[in-house]
Amino acid sequence: MSTRMATIGLVLAILAGTASAQAPGAAAPTFTINDTAGKPIALADFKGKYVVLEWTNPECPFVQKHYVSKNMQGLQKEWSERGVVWLSINSTNANHSEFKTGPEVANWMRAQGSAQKATLLDSSSATGRAYAAKTTPQMFVIDPAGTVIYNGAIDDKRSTNPADVKGASNYVRAALSEALAGKPVTVASTSPYGCSVKY
Amino acid sequence: MLSFSARHTDSFVERTWRRLTESLVIVVALAWAAVAAAAPVHTPHVEAELLAERTALVPGEPLTVALRLRMAPGWHVYWQNPGDSGVPTTIAWDLPAGITAGPIQWPAPRALPAGPLINYGYEGEVLHLVELAVPASLAAVGTQTLRARVDWLVCKEACIPESVELGLTLPAAASAEANPASATTIAATRRALPRALAGWQASAAGQGTSITLRLAPPTGAGDPGTLRFFPFAERQIEASAPQTLARAGNTYLLTLPVASDLAGPLPRLSGVLTASGTLGEAITAATLDLPLAGHVVPGARPDLATTTPVGTDPPPARADLTLWLAALSALVGGLLLNLMPCVFPVLSIKVLGFATHHDRPSTLHKEAFAYATGVVLTFVALGLALLALRAAGEQLGWGFQLQSPVVVTALAALFFVLALNLSGVFEFGQFAPASLIGLSARRRSLDAFAAGVLAVVVASPCTAPFMGAALGFALAGSAWVTLLVFAALGIGMALPYVLLACFPGWRQHLPRPGAWLGRFKQLLAYPLYATVIWLVWVLGAQTDNDSVVRLLLALLGIGFALWAWRILREGGTRLWAAAIAVALLGVALVAWPLLTGSHEVRVNTPKGTGTAATSDSEWEAFTPTRLAELSGAGRTVFVDFTAAWCVTCQVNKRLVLNDGEIRSAFAHKQVALLRADWTRRDSAITQALTALGRSGVPVYVLYRPGREPLLLPEVLQRQTVLAALAPL
Repeated sequence: MSTRMATIGLVLAILAGTASAQAPGAAAPTFTINDTAGKPIALADFKGKYVVLEWTNPECPFVQKHYVSKNMQGLQKEWSERGVVWLSINSTNANHSEFKTGPEVANWMRAQGSAQKATLLDSSSATGRAYAAKTTPQMFVIDPAGTVIYNGAIDDKRSTNPADVKGASNYVRAALSEALAGKPVTVASTSPYGCSVKY
Repeated sequence: MLSFSARHTDSFVERTWRRLTESLVIVVALAWAAVAAAAPVHTPHVEAELLAERTALVPGEPLTVALRLRMAPGWHVYWQNPGDSGVPTTIAWDLPAGITAGPIQWPAPRALPAGPLINYGYEGEVLHLVELAVPASLAAVGTQTLRARVDWLVCKEACIPESVELGLTLPAAASAEANPASATTIAATRRALPRALAGWQASAAGQGTSITLRLAPPTGAGDPGTLRFFPFAERQIEASAPQTLARAGNTYLLTLPVASDLAGPLPRLSGVLTASGTLGEAITAATLDLPLAGHVVPGARPDLATTTPVGTDPPPARADLTLWLAALSALVGGLLLNLMPCVFPVLSIKVLGFATHHDRPSTLHKEAFAYATGVVLTFVALGLALLALRAAGEQLGWGFQLQSPVVVTALAALFFVLALNLSGVFEFGQFAPASLIGLSARRRSLDAFAAGVLAVVVASPCTAPFMGAALGFALAGSAWVTLLVFAALGIGMALPYVLLACFPGWRQHLPRPGAWLGRFKQLLAYPLYATVIWLVWVLGAQTDNDSVVRLLLALLGIGFALWAWRILREGGTRLWAAAIAVALLGVALVAWPLLTGSHEVRVNTPKGTGTAATSDSEWEAFTPTRLAELSGAGRTVFVDFTAAWCVTCQVNKRLVLNDGEIRSAFAHKQVALLRADWTRRDSAITQALTALGRSGVPVYVLYRPGREPLLLPEVLQRQTVLAALAPL
């Protein structure tokens, strides 16, 4: 009996060790993924900078809400100008009906006038899984030390209506503003909302 | 209407634009019609309408209305807590002055997988009840129109937000009657709404990354089957991580994984508990609101590697086997058990025995019946033992008996005795106690019964094809299902013997006895000796060198004792008797340490030290964490659930998995190979098997990124494996 308890304890310890890899305060999992042009981009390339990860899927109405309203592009531009690296990641599995090739995603982003550093194709979904990204959009903010300081929704209006962007409280802007001002992030974790990531 | 079929020829922008305008078009086009006629509104994936329970609005009396949503097959809408993604349905009422609407009364949700994620929601048809308060001041004349703007997100592979305006015009009158069109369905929906769990004693305790719900049923309660807890709020319980159900005595223990993004302190646990069985008379869902003892911390990052998350969906949802199909599989499995290497030598002798009998049919029938009874009862007894141990909280499955070194030792001794018998060292008949030799016919029935028991015991190291799925089904079901499937196994195993007894014509096709029979018996001893070697190897994998030596010494003692017994029976001299007595004393001294020696089972460490796990370098030991890591890295993973005591597993390993072509195919496709060695008890492996709907080994699974795990047959063929790997 005691050996069984010991095993259970060991398993629990291992599980606890892997806990919350994507939670605020945890180290951001590293990755190297190709961008829409097939060029590999690594998180490590941006060490020393603030990085925003935006989980995206052009087919998702929640993502469309934030692009149609120009909300996402506005954030990308606003923070890129302040030295933040913005990476959009599409983790849609290559076998899913909503999968898009690199050029297709690039065209869509171009049509939206997006302003991110790069759009990454995580078609094996490995990075999405490593971050346990659940929805599109879902936002992560990583500080220069490689620590996740925000994980969750883009704002507090759970809807697909572009009009709701006005008057919504934007969590990403709040987190980045506080962090860049050297303050701790007040709201470090929220429930992401949107379509499921198409694993 | 909207040409979705032409989508691939459209540009992204066009398509995106159309999706966004689509719902608006629907709103405008259908709103007027809906209000006027109160007919169902149709969107591409949902039919929606408002229903009233009674025929009129009565001043001062509440009225229940229902929002009925009927989704296209495969599409779903969301519960108040949508789970990993999604949005709950909302109703914005526009009601005549003075009338107010209560909250949506949510029916119990279902767990709906979306890849590795889990959503909480509804498929098919769902009624959302809302109670309207009608003021006494309402004039009881004319008509009133209830309007509602309803928003929902409907998803299958894609998600589509839809919004409709619904209307319902009702007379205002001094009295009303039940609405014949809807009163029955509304009443049925109300009866099924989750209400506070009555009669049960429930408590919740946080233990770090998990919460244990203790649920003690009232006396005489029915079997709740599979339980699942749905929290009312997000960021409390991880939706995609498994909830595991155990039973301790009369209490059910449901373990809930704490959300990895836990929202904050969790003083209470509130939500809906659903049961595949019953929580009371005609109750399958109930609400819980419990103070949470202990403390909780954010749980593990959910393992999004497997498409069917462990234990998420209650077995009914994965019931690809019906009860009768499971029983039929068990029957066929039992039948095939007769051909497995551990059983065949013993039973073929029994069957050939028929050829020598020239008895009256009635004697043969009795004997066959006694044999079948022995087989079936022993299987049922095994089933009961397994149920009892599982009820005591042990994580066990089929083959559990061989995880005990004591049982392996005993079986090795038994097979050795049987082999010696076939070799002709002694005759079995000489063992029958005198008390059994009363009436000859009765004795033969008892012999046959004992042979049935023996047949099951010797069959226990084997798993025949078809048995795995049936046993997995059996152990996921209620006690009766388990016993029925075990009984079916027994019936299948006894069937050939019974048929031969009942159809004398068939016996004529059996070979005639002759001198060859004696030699054939001796030949069949060798598979049994081989079985002994294999059991010794199993014991070695389970324990250590000392135990193996003790077992071999015991076998030596047994062999010598049996030979000595025969010498004495054949009338040996006194000198012989004295020598034998001394020798037996020596055997007893050797056997003593065997009986008292430590039989502590070495427990699998997560690294895996079992023989079966480490013998080949390209194989890694299975742990759920390792599987998650590999899948998380986008690797395809093949898992070999095996055990040293599983003959089929060993055969498959040697003939198929170790085959050069298969190995190079694995290497070429960059498939990560994990071996789950179940030689010793291992609850992590038992849980992984349960998640696959199995309860024993062998099981071969291919985990492919983003797809359902692929189960390969228990008897592996090289072609099957190559075919499974080909599309990768």
